[in-house]
Amino acid sequence: MNKVMSNKWIITLYVLPALLLIGVFIFVPLILTGYYGLMDWDGIGAMKFIGLENYINAIQDDKFWESALHSFLLAVFSTASLIIYLLISLILASKIKGADLLRKIYLIPMLLSSVAIAQLWIKVFNPTNGMLNSLLTAIGVDNPPSWLAEPSVVLYAIFIPILWQYAGFYILIYYAALKNIPETLVEAAKIDGATPLQIAFKIKLPLIMGVVKVTIVLAVVGSLKYFDLIYVMTGGGPNGASEVMASYMYKLAFTSNNFGYGSAIGFLLLIITLIVTFIVRKATATKEEIQY
Amino acid sequence: MKRAGYFLLYLCLAVVAVFQIFPVVWLFLFSLKDNQDIFSKSPFSLPTEFRWENYEKVWEGGIGTYFWNSIWITAVAIILTVLFASMATFVITRMQWKFSKLVLGLFMVGLMIPIHSSIIPLFSMFLHVNLIDNPWSIVITYTAYNLPITIMILLGFYYTLPSEIEEAAIMDGCSIHRLFFRIILPMTIPVMSTTVIINMIYNWNEFVFVNTFISSDQYKTLTVGIQNFIGQYMTDWGAIGATLVISVLPILLAFLFFSNKVVEGISSSAVKG
Amino acid sequence: MRKTKAVTMTVALFTVLLLFAGCSNSDEKANGSSGKKTIEFMHLWPKGSSKTHYEIVNNIVKDYEKKHPDVKVDVQVLSNEQYKDKLKVLSTSNKLPDVGMTWAAGFMEPYVSGNKFAPLDDVINKNLKDQFVPGTAEAFAIDGKTYGMPLELNIATVFYNKAIFDKYGLKAPKTFDEFQHVVKTLKDNGVAPIALGNKDRWTGSLWYMYLADRIGGGDTMTNAINRSGSFEDPALVSAAKKVQDLVDMGAFEKGFNGLSDDEAKSMFMNGQAGMYLIGTWDLPNYTTNEDVPKEFRDSIDYFNFPTVDGKGDMNSFVGGPGVGLFVAQNSDVKEEAKDFAAFFVKEWGEKSVTDAGVIPATKIDAGSLDLPDMYVNVLNDLSKASNITLFADVQMSPDVAQVHLDMIQALFGKQVTPEKFAKEQEQALAKEK
Repeated sequence: MNKVMSNKWIITLYVLPALLLIGVFIFVPLILTGYYGLMDWDGIGAMKFIGLENYINAIQDDKFWESALHSFLLAVFSTASLIIYLLISLILASKIKGADLLRKIYLIPMLLSSVAIAQLWIKVFNPTNGMLNSLLTAIGVDNPPSWLAEPSVVLYAIFIPILWQYAGFYILIYYAALKNIPETLVEAAKIDGATPLQIAFKIKLPLIMGVVKVTIVLAVVGSLKYFDLIYVMTGGGPNGASEVMASYMYKLAFTSNNFGYGSAIGFLLLIITLIVTFIVRKATATKEEIQY
Repeated sequence: MKRAGYFLLYLCLAVVAVFQIFPVVWLFLFSLKDNQDIFSKSPFSLPTEFRWENYEKVWEGGIGTYFWNSIWITAVAIILTVLFASMATFVITRMQWKFSKLVLGLFMVGLMIPIHSSIIPLFSMFLHVNLIDNPWSIVITYTAYNLPITIMILLGFYYTLPSEIEEAAIMDGCSIHRLFFRIILPMTIPVMSTTVIINMIYNWNEFVFVNTFISSDQYKTLTVGIQNFIGQYMTDWGAIGATLVISVLPILLAFLFFSNKVVEGISSSAVKG
Repeated sequence: MRKTKAVTMTVALFTVLLLFAGCSNSDEKANGSSGKKTIEFMHLWPKGSSKTHYEIVNNIVKDYEKKHPDVKVDVQVLSNEQYKDKLKVLSTSNKLPDVGMTWAAGFMEPYVSGNKFAPLDDVINKNLKDQFVPGTAEAFAIDGKTYGMPLELNIATVFYNKAIFDKYGLKAPKTFDEFQHVVKTLKDNGVAPIALGNKDRWTGSLWYMYLADRIGGGDTMTNAINRSGSFEDPALVSAAKKVQDLVDMGAFEKGFNGLSDDEAKSMFMNGQAGMYLIGTWDLPNYTTNEDVPKEFRDSIDYFNFPTVDGKGDMNSFVGGPGVGLFVAQNSDVKEEAKDFAAFFVKEWGEKSVTDAGVIPATKIDAGSLDLPDMYVNVLNDLSKASNITLFADVQMSPDVAQVHLDMIQALFGKQVTPEKFAKEQEQALAKEK
């Protein structure tokens, strides 16, 4: 048995395609990013080696840390909202009527591209005739904020569509995990007189904890490198109030012609994500299993 | 009491459902408006004039080719990703070897790279192997960039597969290939369907790579087709809406199909194996 | 033994995949050997959003190919933002198209210093001598050499809705006091005085630049940028103060810092705002564009930015050439590419104004063309122009331009004082040179 299951040539054959692909197409660019970070380079002309200067500048760059803070906040909110998605999935996976239809409806927003979602929410947030402010005015709020224009609210306003966009993604994963639980376990608990709530929290939840931990990592990593809606909806503005690490990097590299510095930020983003992920994994690891 | 509880539950669920479905309604209305209507009226107002010509305009723009490209590129990339990811996850979780943790770690790091920092290196790599303006550069990139997340999702499920399965299979003299393709893969159909849906959405809506690596019209995909309506000084939002509606239909159908697969019982396929 | 087998197999698989992929496009380039020369041409007017531009380009290309049977022009189209990104990626790998589009001054500078663009003075002297409107080709010159041939010329003017103005008994203002009176009247009557989409930031920059021009004269801003002056010039600071005065008066619509230019434009075009400061590229919307209701088009006129506190010259404009054509330095068909680019510019000048409503950068004989009144007026204004200050974000290097644009947003949002606004930009400029 053990001999078969540790056959080296099979292991190599099975893991190599995936490993080669990410090695060549993800790790090589990643190493190059780190390397470009050592250059004074506008992305057009000649490169000049300047050592760690870009990295040192980045560490002293207030704008970078501000964008990093925004990314962290997004990660915190994303992780917190996993609880809601988990609850919804638990409800949908219990045998209530219409669960199947509801699940499909719930997942629809995730099918839309970011272009569509951005346009929709730009309209929701329009300060004068947007849905949100029309609603607020109707219930008597005098001067509702201009969501995407006010530096103090823009960041939180823009988190809403991001969290909403990803709801389907996590519900889909949780749902599949819950459906993966053998019927017999649930039936046995029912016979022992467990209530639906007890089944959900005492039996199902512990069984899918492995998957939950994976989603925490996905949420954290996804948030730290998040870019799409923010770039389309606010461009990081006004004046950096909704800038995140990835949009800051993009602007430096592609708009400001500061490719070397942008690469350094990109590489730092990676290192920060690595550290945070490591902490998250340590924090969520239980005694019996350090892996997932 | 219990009934009231259920009523409340359904009310909440229904409210959320409305919230989730309204973008589709909105998108459809959006696709029939012109810029004036789109920007100045409430998003759910009916168009002052139903502009079906938006759809006409979009078809004339040669969206048919884009459509087909989107379909085959998405499909091929999904097959490669899910197959390679399943294989890798299988050996990482089920087989005993020294470097499994390390390899898993590498895949995790692969999750973390922001795509914009990899565009320029990737471009010059593809240029060296003469793959620029070739749809295979897109297929390969999609496969590579979706592998990490696909593996992460599969991982949790593979760990929960009971180990008795392999033991029994190996005892019966079943080869590893047979074990993987005939027993393990069918057992993971629900989670594979989940990853297919996720891959599908990513590939279908991806845009940065296509825009960078592809220059001929014949290889472009739908997402680039959308950009066609964004002008230097003016953007035709109605036409963009029409493209978005057209582009969401196939993915909606595919989603409904695979979404049923997610529920397919794990037990039934296990018995077959 | 077995291990090697596995490795070989996988590597083989990949090689096949790559070869398979590689083969399918490698033959295309080989066609060049059949005697035809291929010029790659990249532009940013997709059929979907800029149909008339797109068609003019195709016609010019067709004409050129007819006249030069040995040349094939390979056209690639991208939308604006994507164009900029792709140009960048292409240039890192030295793969710029033979002919493409560039913006003037700051945008072009790194490409020129990186030796990516070819100087075009020879072909301009040969084919286009004295054809450009003064000041346009100069914006594409660095150290005495011209690297781009401009295609369009735009100035920013304040468009206003006569119907709304008439309703409240307002006239096009000539002084800033009158202007403030207009703003106040509109505001009091619940009409948003000015539509401004300052998410895009260059839009707000136009307002600031005009105020700076009127208060400090046409050169103050340019001098600050080229370092013969300072951004902390009192005129530039007091222009910033004026901007904030306007914000305090409620001159701009609610939430302008979060709205795009597209959104602001439609406010104006729906009669929800009285005024809108934009470049003359928008003229078709107010004259010939059949998609816009005629009633609205007829009610739109424009005025030149008013004088401020009795200072300033109303014939001084903010504007400049839009895109121009470059020829890649490493092009293997450089002579043909230059010839094509010159041909394109010439043809464009004749066709674009009548067909697409573009004001070209080459001289045109307005009298001989049947143009809407507003065009004639703009062309007249242009001929009388005492000065055209190039858009600040175009003048500046991309890096400093970002500081400027961010500061514009902060200024309008009252996140910075006028003094800090000037200081930050002064520092960014000083750091560079």
